[in-house]
Amino acid sequence: MNLNIYLVGVGGQGILTIGEILSSAAMEKDLPVFFYPSKGMAQRGGFVKAQLQIGKKNVGPNIIEKGSDIVFAMETSEALKAVRFAKPGGTFLLLANFWAPTDVILGKASYPELDKVIGEIQKSGAKLVLISDKDLPEYEGKKVADNIFMLGAAMKHSVLNKLFDSADIDRIVQNRWKRASASNHFAFQAGMDYQPQLIAGE
Amino acid sequence: MKKLITGNEAIAYGALAAGIKVACGYPGTPSTGAIASLLTMDLPNTHVEWSTNEKVAFDLASGVAWAGHRVLCTMKMSGVNVAYDSIISTAYSGCDGGFVIYVADDPGTNAGMCEQDSRGFALMSDMPMLEPASIEEAISLTTYAFELSEAIKGPVFVRLTTPLANGFASVEIPEPAPVSQADALLIHDINRFTKAGAVICMTQHRDLIKRLAHAGELIEQKGLNRLDLGKKKGGLGIVASGVTVQYIEEALAVADKYGIDREKISVLGLRASIPTPKQQLSQLIDFCDKILVLEELEPHIERDVYILARKRGYAGQIIGKIDGTFDRVGEYGTKHVLIGLNKALSLNIPESEYKSDTTAEELAAARPITVCSGCPHRGTYMAINRAIRKLKLKKQDVIVNGDIGCTILGMNPPFNTVWNEISMGASIGLAQGFAYAGVKTPVLATIGDSTFFHGGIPSLINAIQHEANIVLIIMDNEWTAMTGMQINPGTPCDRHEKPYKHVDIARIVPALGVEHFWQINPFDQDHATDVIAEAMQLPGVKVILSRQECAIQAFRKGSKEGKKKIVRVVEENCNLCKLCISVTGCSALVPGEKVMTIDPALCRQCGMCVSVCNRNAMVMEDVK
Ligand SMILES: Cc1ncc(C[n+]2csc(CCOP(=O)(O)OP(=O)(O)O)c2C)c(N)n1
Ligand code: SF4
Ligand code: SF4
Repeated sequence: MNLNIYLVGVGGQGILTIGEILSSAAMEKDLPVFFYPSKGMAQRGGFVKAQLQIGKKNVGPNIIEKGSDIVFAMETSEALKAVRFAKPGGTFLLLANFWAPTDVILGKASYPELDKVIGEIQKSGAKLVLISDKDLPEYEGKKVADNIFMLGAAMKHSVLNKLFDSADIDRIVQNRWKRASASNHFAFQAGMDYQPQLIAGE
Repeated sequence: MKKLITGNEAIAYGALAAGIKVACGYPGTPSTGAIASLLTMDLPNTHVEWSTNEKVAFDLASGVAWAGHRVLCTMKMSGVNVAYDSIISTAYSGCDGGFVIYVADDPGTNAGMCEQDSRGFALMSDMPMLEPASIEEAISLTTYAFELSEAIKGPVFVRLTTPLANGFASVEIPEPAPVSQADALLIHDINRFTKAGAVICMTQHRDLIKRLAHAGELIEQKGLNRLDLGKKKGGLGIVASGVTVQYIEEALAVADKYGIDREKISVLGLRASIPTPKQQLSQLIDFCDKILVLEELEPHIERDVYILARKRGYAGQIIGKIDGTFDRVGEYGTKHVLIGLNKALSLNIPESEYKSDTTAEELAAARPITVCSGCPHRGTYMAINRAIRKLKLKKQDVIVNGDIGCTILGMNPPFNTVWNEISMGASIGLAQGFAYAGVKTPVLATIGDSTFFHGGIPSLINAIQHEANIVLIIMDNEWTAMTGMQINPGTPCDRHEKPYKHVDIARIVPALGVEHFWQINPFDQDHATDVIAEAMQLPGVKVILSRQECAIQAFRKGSKEGKKKIVRVVEENCNLCKLCISVTGCSALVPGEKVMTIDPALCRQCGMCVSVCNRNAMVMEDVK
């Protein structure tokens, strides 16, 4: 089985980590992996995207438009940049975070409405799984890692579970950060159990 | 052992499998990862270093290769411009030890800078250039490049583009080869190793041309370039090089749905674009009715196809850039192959299979990159802006010439301080030029520490000699930051574990004879502003060293030592005027419901917001 995954967000959110975890999971199963993260420069806070292709031996690094089985978008406005890469019938996970650029905060520039973003995603023909940032649970008084939570939700609502066992992903997540293993285990499970705000296009 | 590695690391492993004695380079996206990964390894018999600039790295590498040992030299495409004076000269002389220059190009400019195609340099200096099509091949072709270099007795280029340089794949890691312990050669031969005299130069030129022809023969014997002729004659021949090869199969799979006859498709996938394989290209031209050339940036291979076509009396179509099908700008993907197939075979593949619908993307908010929270450069831009105001000048009248690195980010809002950017070190010469052109207001230049060492010092010497009226601000964050925190000569010794000597800019500048020299802390806004304003009023060359460690590195150090300060919002004083955000643009400042808030995960306690707030709503306190 081949799987194309497109990831977008803002530097510092941990979007690349999702790609790294899935790359490790694929490697454990001895599946061919091509993972192409493109972040800008050293600074935090810029647009970040990554493309992950699992299962094909020789691939071009750039996924064809309408070719991603799964899209992970961790920022509402940046999600728009992934829309044309979503496969009709695939899954588009949107974690509706807002990282407003300075000019938006100062009222000098506009920021797209969530409804508008949702509308654009639906036009792509992918199933939208909407995660509200307000729904993130806490573990021992601290909000859980949103990227791990999102990975849990993807495990439940996308074809990711056809390729991977949730127990394997959970183990990789726990081993990655020894000190946070309990909270990340919790985040991953909570993501799997989460009832998304909206599942549209099924 | 299988590992998930980048193409950059693959170059490093491929070089280790060739037993390199030395690896050197200068950082530059997307090539940085090769030397960076070698520097993290324990290699007792291989010397690895970041050199001061690409030319220095290349000259050092020539010494190693002339002494008969194997050496890897790495750079981004812009670095080839810097090193090229030496590259062509060493190519003329040839070498005894295996000499591989790894260059990474960036079609689609993921990292800024000119979208230049380094193959042009290889052509100009008759040097072979290998182009791996996958990360696996980046290992094997790099190892082979050393053999090829020794066989032809001349340097060889290996070229990757961004997706392979920075992309990861799971590949088998080869064993490193033992490093040769043979005595260094000392060949005293002025006919080979100098350029003094027409006879010497023209003989070397002839030898060089022969070396490239020899490389072509060896590459053909090795079968690096793969020609798969279709079952039927008279179809379409596709020529592609490097990573572009990988998009062909995916496009053919799409074209299958539109009735493509696979038996009439022939493919020539190049792994050595220079010299172009005349033999195989001729075979393809003779076999096919139409040729599709897929190469990013410049149509180098395509031109050779035209020449061969003419020589062989081929009258068929050649689809590529020269007929206007493809652009010379940007990177390629499956889309380009589909467009080419459609045109060549009239397949009626609908545009919707490949054409972008960018309407969603156009709705996205603009996100100009700016400096990190706590970045010392923020303090310098703010102080420059304040100094201009203090002197009652208008910002549009004071030119601040910029340079490469994080220091250029002052071009963006909210600072709008820096005006321009050419190449490493150019800000100083530019400023001198503006001064001579008769600009009446003070002329400023800004430059980072690594860039100053790289290319700024000769320009400063020139400005000093000619007593130009300029203000130079060296923004010294003690690291080569933009490319991901490399050590440079000015990085203090206690910040790394290498046995390097520290070269202090604070001692270089006065030693050059600069009379007006100050050192400032960009976080001390009042002092920094006063010094810049004073410098702007004096004649001659004025140099200000604005020194404070890069916030990312300082935080890494600080998080080991524990936080000492905290910035707090005094809620009763804050009226949410957002002045702090509009002046600093710091991402740690987040407007709350009624008052400003500070994201503790991002705040680096630089105090810039504290200095801006005129209602005493921000305070810096010691952590108890
Ligand atoms: C000739 C050339 N080599 C390398 C680069 C890549 N490059 C871009 S920014 C940069 C770092 C500049 O460091 P520094 O001057 O210290 O400024 P900082 O980023 O630390 O503020 C480098 C090496 C380039 N653009 N051109
Ligand atoms: S990486 Fe360092 S120098 Fe560059 S913007 Fe960030 S803090 Fe500033
Ligand atoms: S919030 Fe203020 S003190 Fe903290 S990093 Fe930003 S400008 Fe500096």
